[in-house]
Amino acid sequence: MNEAAPLPKGNMGEPVARIDARLKVTGDARYPADLPVRDVAHAVLVTSPIARGRLTQLHTEAARAVPGVLDIIAAGDVDGELERPQFGNSGSTSIAPLHDRRIWHDGQIVALVVAETFEAASEAAALVRADFQAEEPSSGFGSPGIEIIPAAGASPLYPENPEAGDFDAAWATAEISIDETYSTPTQHHNPMELFSTTASWFDGDVTVNESSQNVTGWKNTLARQLKVDPEHVRVVSPYVGGAFGSRGPMTPRTAIIAHAARRLGRPVRCVVTRKQAYTTQTYRAETRHHIRMGAMKDGRIVAFRHEGWELTSRPDNYVVGGTGTTARMYGYGAVETKVSLVKADRNTPSYMRSPPETPYVYALENAMDEMAVALAMDPVEFRRVNDTMTEPIEGKPFSSRSLMECYDQAAEAFGWNRRTRGIGSMRDGDWLVGMGCATAVYPTNVAPCTARVRLTADGRIRVQSGSHEIGTGIRTVAAQMAAERLGAPFWSVEVEMGDSSLPPAPVSGGSTSTASVCSAVMKACDAIRARLFHAAVTANDGPLSGLAPADLGIADGRIVAGARVEAVANAMERMGVGEIEEYAEFAPEGSSADAIANLYKGKLEMRMGEEGAKVKYAFGAEFVEVRIHRLTRETRVSRLVGAFAAGRIMNPRTARSQLMGGMIWGVGCALHEATEMDRHSARYVNTDLQDYLVPVNADIQDVKVILVEEKDTDVNPAGVKGLGELGNVGTPAAVASAVYHATGKRIRDLPIRIEDLL
Amino acid sequence: MTAIRSEIRFILNGEEVRLAEVAPDETLLDYLRLRRSLTGTKEGCAEGDCGACTVLVGRLTPDGLVYESVNSCIRFLGSLDGTHVVTVEHLAPVAGRLHPVQQAMVDFHGSQCGFCTPGFVMSLYALWMQDPKPSDRRIEKALQGNLCRCTGYEAIVRAARAISSYGDANDDPLAAERAEIAGRLNAMRDGARVEIGTGSKRFFIPASVDDLADLLETEPKATIVAGATDVGLWVTKFMREIAPVVFIGHLDELRRTSEKDGVLSIGAGVSYTEAFRLLAGRVPALATLIDRIGGEQVRNMGTIGGNIANGSPIGDTPPPLIALGATLTLRKGRSRRTITLEEFFIDYGKQDRRPGEFVEAVHVPLPAAGSRFAIYKVTKRRDEDITATLGAFNLMLDASGKVEKIRIAYGGMAATPKRAHAVEAAIAGKPWTRETVDAALAEYERDFRPLTDMRASADYRMLASKNLLVRFFLETSGRAAPVQVGRYEAA
Repeated sequence: MNEAAPLPKGNMGEPVARIDARLKVTGDARYPADLPVRDVAHAVLVTSPIARGRLTQLHTEAARAVPGVLDIIAAGDVDGELERPQFGNSGSTSIAPLHDRRIWHDGQIVALVVAETFEAASEAAALVRADFQAEEPSSGFGSPGIEIIPAAGASPLYPENPEAGDFDAAWATAEISIDETYSTPTQHHNPMELFSTTASWFDGDVTVNESSQNVTGWKNTLARQLKVDPEHVRVVSPYVGGAFGSRGPMTPRTAIIAHAARRLGRPVRCVVTRKQAYTTQTYRAETRHHIRMGAMKDGRIVAFRHEGWELTSRPDNYVVGGTGTTARMYGYGAVETKVSLVKADRNTPSYMRSPPETPYVYALENAMDEMAVALAMDPVEFRRVNDTMTEPIEGKPFSSRSLMECYDQAAEAFGWNRRTRGIGSMRDGDWLVGMGCATAVYPTNVAPCTARVRLTADGRIRVQSGSHEIGTGIRTVAAQMAAERLGAPFWSVEVEMGDSSLPPAPVSGGSTSTASVCSAVMKACDAIRARLFHAAVTANDGPLSGLAPADLGIADGRIVAGARVEAVANAMERMGVGEIEEYAEFAPEGSSADAIANLYKGKLEMRMGEEGAKVKYAFGAEFVEVRIHRLTRETRVSRLVGAFAAGRIMNPRTARSQLMGGMIWGVGCALHEATEMDRHSARYVNTDLQDYLVPVNADIQDVKVILVEEKDTDVNPAGVKGLGELGNVGTPAAVASAVYHATGKRIRDLPIRIEDLL
Repeated sequence: MTAIRSEIRFILNGEEVRLAEVAPDETLLDYLRLRRSLTGTKEGCAEGDCGACTVLVGRLTPDGLVYESVNSCIRFLGSLDGTHVVTVEHLAPVAGRLHPVQQAMVDFHGSQCGFCTPGFVMSLYALWMQDPKPSDRRIEKALQGNLCRCTGYEAIVRAARAISSYGDANDDPLAAERAEIAGRLNAMRDGARVEIGTGSKRFFIPASVDDLADLLETEPKATIVAGATDVGLWVTKFMREIAPVVFIGHLDELRRTSEKDGVLSIGAGVSYTEAFRLLAGRVPALATLIDRIGGEQVRNMGTIGGNIANGSPIGDTPPPLIALGATLTLRKGRSRRTITLEEFFIDYGKQDRRPGEFVEAVHVPLPAAGSRFAIYKVTKRRDEDITATLGAFNLMLDASGKVEKIRIAYGGMAATPKRAHAVEAAIAGKPWTRETVDAALAEYERDFRPLTDMRASADYRMLASKNLLVRFFLETSGRAAPVQVGRYEAA
């Protein structure tokens, strides 16, 4: 056992190494653009250099003259053959680049060049000339020409602003109050794998190889756009080189490439440059926040108001909407919230790792630290005073909430008691030392899911579910669940995922996968157990005959009841079968009657953490130590400690890695990441990994993850709370609090930069 | 007359490759992925930032066969003549057992999505061959040029520490076959000039420096490519035509160094990695700076000569070299001239290099005994980031504490690397005091008019640059300990 594989505590599975580790270290894991495709043509996107206006004419003669060019597809060429993309559900935007000539944002696709080689396609794409009728764009917050609308009702995903009690009255009674504004910038996911689409048609069926978090949703979306029956569409995505939400909704390119392949009668591959991905994929919307918080001198919060503004595109009302979580975080008393959308000439934003929580909880937790300072209370104790087992909006209980347990364990490991309260009071030579903490939270969502499990007489198990290995370890934990329920060793399980021809699974987003897939796998395995147990107890002469199925268990390839055992293989022989295969449909409590049918149709039906009789959230506490140089103000995050409670931990090794990677995301969000904008042209400027700064190894020092034991039987059958999006939620506010502790500078706008601290 | 060869030859993993059809701007990565279906090597950024495309290149040096990590996305295929290219596919399991680097990555959970993993494996492999028991600092250096978006690095660093517990570097296949590979590479050295392609698709690999000089007389407009860490991006990011190309990275003569009368002469082809070794004991501040240029792969490829010759206003080595009073030898045909480095930089994108001329060597006067020399690079991110402003200071005080000599140069503050003449004039001959320094700060406005861009605002650049002088004063007057941007070491 090594440090990467923490020992399991109660309610935790074995920390086995990931099932695909070997393929990944040898380079044998094949990502979509790695797959060899016979006779493939290469496509390159031509994008708009203006952010608003109309495309008046496209000049393609020079491009067509480049040897090897096969086709150029532009606005008007797809009429009648390709449906417009739609925003929402599995679609990222309604912007239909090849349907109309309106330019909605900089870098919008205006044409596609297909050629024999990538070089020829690139050369020709550079020769395509376009004439535009350009208009003055609005780049975002504060620009002339933006439109501001209420979020409530603008999207089916955000019906209303949560509220409770009479905020104004409660606010008037507060003895201590804070009233501040906060902001978070545009951020791009920048997964390491470039975005790509490869489409091949054979006999009326199309196969699309593209990294996806939602193969079933895409299959249906693609079928609608291509005007074919979903039966003729297959989306394959066996390995995904990082996603973080960027591969959740399908972008318009996918159908365009599939259409190009159909038109050309041969496979087409398009690998998008990193620069073009900034405008043809999605991103995290920048946000602004206004928080008012009123408390009594004993630390009790009596009034909380959170107003947010979020950027979106002109045509699509993407709502971040994090007030659903911030309004339920603490026992506030009265709560008022409001969210508005700011529409500008930008591409449509979308989900990025903990989409609502990252910006909204950042603002709330920064305010919590400010209030603790105003109250002269220890920030941990301030949270303890306002901890609650009942959420304030509807008065529903939490299914489980181990927030203060997380704080206590993390505080001890961190050495929080060594912190002295005064600003700048802790020093190490020329370095000012600051310590801060913040709450991490993520709702426990779960979605309908199906799985097929096959057990063969030789003890091998195959699990099939159309979920997606985006790096989280879902294949590994699904295998662990099957091994455990069928009493087989982990290595005997094979897992097939990432293919729309498999039994459908939900989008791998919203931290739903482990809960949803494991619940479905569990159900299929239990059906296999039931058949085995039935055979064992109904046998005339077997060692288990006559027992009640409920008394049986399964372990090490044997059906067990106390000292009486029968090998699984024997039971199967008795049944006269060489294999048992079960398909299971799991629909979470409270799902609609059509939940599984909708899943097959690619319609998202996620049960959210705040729904149901009890509200379901995973919590964590994150502590950060920063060192800021006295003279230069260089800021280093020297230590991070996070303790997290997320129900059953299927695999401490993969869980720890998810949480640690999340905390590093939080460091990036706090200190580095921002997509900069040329406000005049509404154009992103740092569109590469050279200038979009993500943390490098040197930015990371001592990181400790503590998995806190927690049992929750209410969340879902697997007892699992998703944690892939938990780790990054608290870090930015914890860093901001530590920076304040070291310097006395309260930085409310991310990222925190050296010049803010001068 | 030099013999002409019309193909390149190199070894790819175990196989000898001969190629006559190579475009001057074809990258090694495209060759591996598109022509050879060796897809373990990934494309993440196409500009040498992320390291997903890392492979090893072994080349014969006077010290024997040396393997270094490189970014295959910006390394041109033509420049690989006479080398051994090693990709992740060469680390195939033996009898089902993974290579020690790979097994350590498995056990320590060094991968999540896995896309960056082969690149990390190759970087760690290069490190392990050079240093089987590396210090944490060495591990960090080796991983500077690899980005991971999932794991948060910590698991990868732990894997790196543990590699040697999984196997002995001497048992590694590349160690075992070293003599054989060296022999094969040696046999490829036929002393010929390589010429491939016609018209606008030509490239050349000169047989020697003299041959390079001759070649540039007939191809004065050729793009000279050494490490390709800058020119590579002209192709992959800016789609520029660079042909005809002359590759010079293989010329050992350009990698020579010598020291005479306190002046260190560095051949234009010396890589950052080689320069680091050379400078570590002689000009520690410069060696420390080199540690913060790109990642290990970029430092293995990029050259001091290229950093100068391309004339970027944010190149990191010119300001300190100007502050040290470096001179440059330029060669054209058989004739050479030597100019000061600052004279070489005329304007943005314009250097004093005539058609057919090339930078042969830079001559660096080592800091005199008793002088103080410091370099400060200011970036948003500590590692692998482009300079916002960089100041270099070279100070000599006389016995009375007056400034006998001071040279100050900056990068990122003007269209070229630039000396701060007015600031120097305000300080020279005066006592080295805070008053002198404060009075000189106003002179920055005369020397520099920086731009605002996404890396820093003009105001920030100006303020930070002034503060670097204050910092230099504080450090040299005993008022503050030297401030090294470094890793905080836990007590």
